[in-house]
Amino acid sequence: MFRYIWRYSKRDQIAIFIVVIASLPFYFLSLDLPKQIVNDAIVGQAFRDGVTHTTFLDLGFDLPAFLGGGTVTLFPGISVNQIGLLLGLSFLFLAFVCINGAFKYWINIAKGALGERMLRRLRFDLFSTVVRFTPDTLRAVRPSETATIIKDEVEPIGGFIGDAFVQPLLLASQAATAMTFIMMQSVQLGLVVLFIVGIQFTVIPRLRRIQLRLGKERQLASRLLAGRIGEVVEGMDAVHAHGTGRWEKAEIGERLYRLFDLRFRIFKWKFMVKFLNNFLSQLTPFFFYSVGGYFALTGRLDIGQLVAVIAAYRDLPPPLKELIDWDQQRLDVQIKYDQIIQQFVPEHLLPEEPGISAGINTTRLAGPVSIEKLRVLDSNGATLVDDISVSWEYPASVALVGNPSPAPHAIADVLARRIIPAAGTVTIAGQDFLRLPEEVTGRRIACAGAQPRLFPGSLRHNLLYGLQHKVTPADSRLPDTADAAEYIRIREALRTGNPLDSPDDDWLDHATIGMLSDKEIDDMLLENLALVGMGDDVFNFGINGWVDTARYPALADKIVEARNHLRARLAQCDMSELIETFDESRYANLASIGENLLFGASRDPLFNGRGRARNPLLLRVLDAEGLTGDLVGIGARIASTMMEIFADLPPDHPLVTQFSFLASNEMDDYERALSRWSQQGLRGLGPDDRERLLAPSFDYIEPRHRLSLLDDALRARILKARRHVRDEIARTDGQWNLEPYDPDKLCHNAMLRDNLLFGRVDLRIANARARVTKVVVDVVNDLELRPAISAVGLDFEVGPGGRMLTARQRGGADLVRCIVKKPDILVIDGALSAFSDTDADAILECLHTLFSDRCLVMIGRDETGLSGFDTVITFNDEGSFSQREDAAGAPPRRQSALT
Amino acid sequence: MTLETEVQVLRRVPMFRGLDKGRLKLLAFTSERVSFPGGQILFNRGDTSDAAYVILDGRADALLDTPAGAFKVAEFGAHDIVGEMGVLADTPRTATVRAATDLLVLRIDKQVFLELLNQFPQISIAVMRELAHRLERTTIRLAETAPADGASPSHD
Repeated sequence: MFRYIWRYSKRDQIAIFIVVIASLPFYFLSLDLPKQIVNDAIVGQAFRDGVTHTTFLDLGFDLPAFLGGGTVTLFPGISVNQIGLLLGLSFLFLAFVCINGAFKYWINIAKGALGERMLRRLRFDLFSTVVRFTPDTLRAVRPSETATIIKDEVEPIGGFIGDAFVQPLLLASQAATAMTFIMMQSVQLGLVVLFIVGIQFTVIPRLRRIQLRLGKERQLASRLLAGRIGEVVEGMDAVHAHGTGRWEKAEIGERLYRLFDLRFRIFKWKFMVKFLNNFLSQLTPFFFYSVGGYFALTGRLDIGQLVAVIAAYRDLPPPLKELIDWDQQRLDVQIKYDQIIQQFVPEHLLPEEPGISAGINTTRLAGPVSIEKLRVLDSNGATLVDDISVSWEYPASVALVGNPSPAPHAIADVLARRIIPAAGTVTIAGQDFLRLPEEVTGRRIACAGAQPRLFPGSLRHNLLYGLQHKVTPADSRLPDTADAAEYIRIREALRTGNPLDSPDDDWLDHATIGMLSDKEIDDMLLENLALVGMGDDVFNFGINGWVDTARYPALADKIVEARNHLRARLAQCDMSELIETFDESRYANLASIGENLLFGASRDPLFNGRGRARNPLLLRVLDAEGLTGDLVGIGARIASTMMEIFADLPPDHPLVTQFSFLASNEMDDYERALSRWSQQGLRGLGPDDRERLLAPSFDYIEPRHRLSLLDDALRARILKARRHVRDEIARTDGQWNLEPYDPDKLCHNAMLRDNLLFGRVDLRIANARARVTKVVVDVVNDLELRPAISAVGLDFEVGPGGRMLTARQRGGADLVRCIVKKPDILVIDGALSAFSDTDADAILECLHTLFSDRCLVMIGRDETGLSGFDTVITFNDEGSFSQREDAAGAPPRRQSALT
Repeated sequence: MTLETEVQVLRRVPMFRGLDKGRLKLLAFTSERVSFPGGQILFNRGDTSDAAYVILDGRADALLDTPAGAFKVAEFGAHDIVGEMGVLADTPRTATVRAATDLLVLRIDKQVFLELLNQFPQISIAVMRELAHRLERTTIRLAETAPADGASPSHD
């Protein structure tokens, strides 16, 4: 570990050390000054014999005798009287305080920066190693464990790095000084001190070693805990499906107990060691007083010396203690470091990708594929397939079929770089495929598997993921841009061995798709989504999405236009009563009380759901308008009705979760709040109870919930409060992000659909929703807004692992991701299983057309539905295979059995 | 019309007659009130049965398509329940139902209805009793008409 630290930080370490040394004289001077102030200026030693003036600040030094002796005067000094001397010395003291502070500040900053830089480097190195794990290694790696290691476990190492070299040197020198001073006063006492210090230095680290061993166990246990929790969370549906929640809880509980037990044992040791350490420190003065006192009494030591020794000893324990602490920290960090490194030295790593300065490798793989004597092992090392030799021409459409033979799947895995074959060669377009760098295979070969892996982010980001290849080579020199922030970013990256690329750069692989504008890219993606039958999906994402007007500047006006068209169209078809349009001067009956109060949209949680009931602005307005009591009353009526209606149902019953206004876990709280409300009114409610009772009222819609809680007078007062809210928002100027509804403007915080409707559909009228939707679709088509709205759908957040999408949508997204990178070879390995048979056939047909001049490889279970393929290679379970040629292709090769 | 008045209506539906007020309120609250203009179709024969309807106000006709055009097989008025058989039996609609006048109904979603039956035996028993009554009535009617209809061959 020290080697690692030293290798990457020696310059900074030395710089810090030099500054520390440089600061020492000032430190000692500042310690010495108080004595001078007291002795010379206050007690007046310098003025003892009637001298009224003395020189101040006479800087100079005596030359040693071999240079001829004499005194060199740097500054003759100023003649001052006693008060002057006092003030002068005091100000000098102040100056030293400032200088010391400045030194300390610089040293701390430098140490901190050093630590953070090393931390950044270490973390980045670890992450780079993870990226280079071979597929085999990855199978054994638990994601959340790796995450805790890189994020948490490295942390203390960073804190230690700044102190790694400087601290022990400094402390040791301080301790040595004090020790020498004691020795000079009295050798016997010095020996006593040395003896006790010796014990401290031998026994305590030994005891601490046990403590450290426990600490190591704790680290392992907590890492396993993190890994385990991650696994359980990921497999939560399996836990629910098998009803094994209790087992999982017991398992985690046991781990927590073990952690507690380890921690507790660590505590016991820690405080034991602390006790011993304190005891030994206190023991020394005991010897001073007894032995030193005895010496003094017997005259072998004068009192002055004894006092001086005791005074010097006061300076000894702090550095010693810190030195022991440092040693402890060193051991601790060393163990952590070893632990971490151990995790990150798997047997096989992939070769390092080319350095930052290399441009992109544009090798193409448009050529015949030839696989010779391929052998693939499974994860246990057993032979999965052996001695497979197949080849096909280019362009080609090839189907590899085999059930139960694992060969087709194994070939797909090899081409997708999911498996490294144990033996054999793969030649594509005359190149050794297995030696090609990932950026070539990744760009030129696409493999759509049955379980696509999507990343959290927008749908667009996921679709373009396969094109994230920066074409321009990164510049490894410091840019001479005037942009200071960019300069610092790159300088830091260089200092810590991090990449100079910024994720904000243009990463799109323009070598493949050409220079396209954002709109052209969106169009291309939408076209491909339509190809895999996701046109409607992405349109629905769009219409239920939020418009980013920075990206689509023209869309806002178009949506307002569509809104007006829709209104006109509904009037034309005599359907106006289906929507109650928002009108600032009227209470919207079909909207909730909360919506009527705000009359605008916000994505701030304080303006949505329960948050509204604790929104200070809203509460202020309600109080000012005298509405709090009314709304709490409404909320209380709703709450008591809910309790009456749902009283006999279990709290988590689907009907309760679907219809009740109240959270089932708050029933008891509501009961108490209601009884307080009925007995004491508003005054009896604390803020929590008020929030509880207020919240249901905000969701209340009279025509829908039909509890007859609203009358015209109250509606009018709510309207008045609406204006008050608006004024209040305007007054607080930007503090609250509530965007009011405006018939002539797009509301950015509202969904696109709500922006089109600009009102609420009257669900009391039969089929209202379906009829309105139909008109909306018509208007959208007439105005040719569909592509623009679908483009908004590309902003849809797919969630972790794409969980916000259905399996079919994930499969479609993965296919599009594979298609848009325009690979030379596309392998379809189960990607169509998420689709219905008719959809799958249609997609396959499109793929045939798309890849008619490239290579399409289909992995199938049987030969049905593969009529479109030129070549069908069927593997039977003995490992032999037959090849059907419909068009030009390689002649059948040898047939072989498993060895 | 408020929840309370709907509860009053539900109380007069034979199927729900025996239920206490809390249950009726639950039933009303979990249902939607929907209006159909006269002439509009509530559902067509063959549609999936996704809801039952309690008529609050107005009249509706049950129709069967015959070569001679729509043939009215039944007529419903206030307090009648429509479409519950399909929901209970999980079968498609056996007839088309159309609003004869402007119609106000309480739409009870299938899932909600089944959930209520699951949760409250009281409701299940009320529904069973009503079905048994209907069966009884049908049997009586069959018994009355069967001897008169001598042309049809008799079955065991």
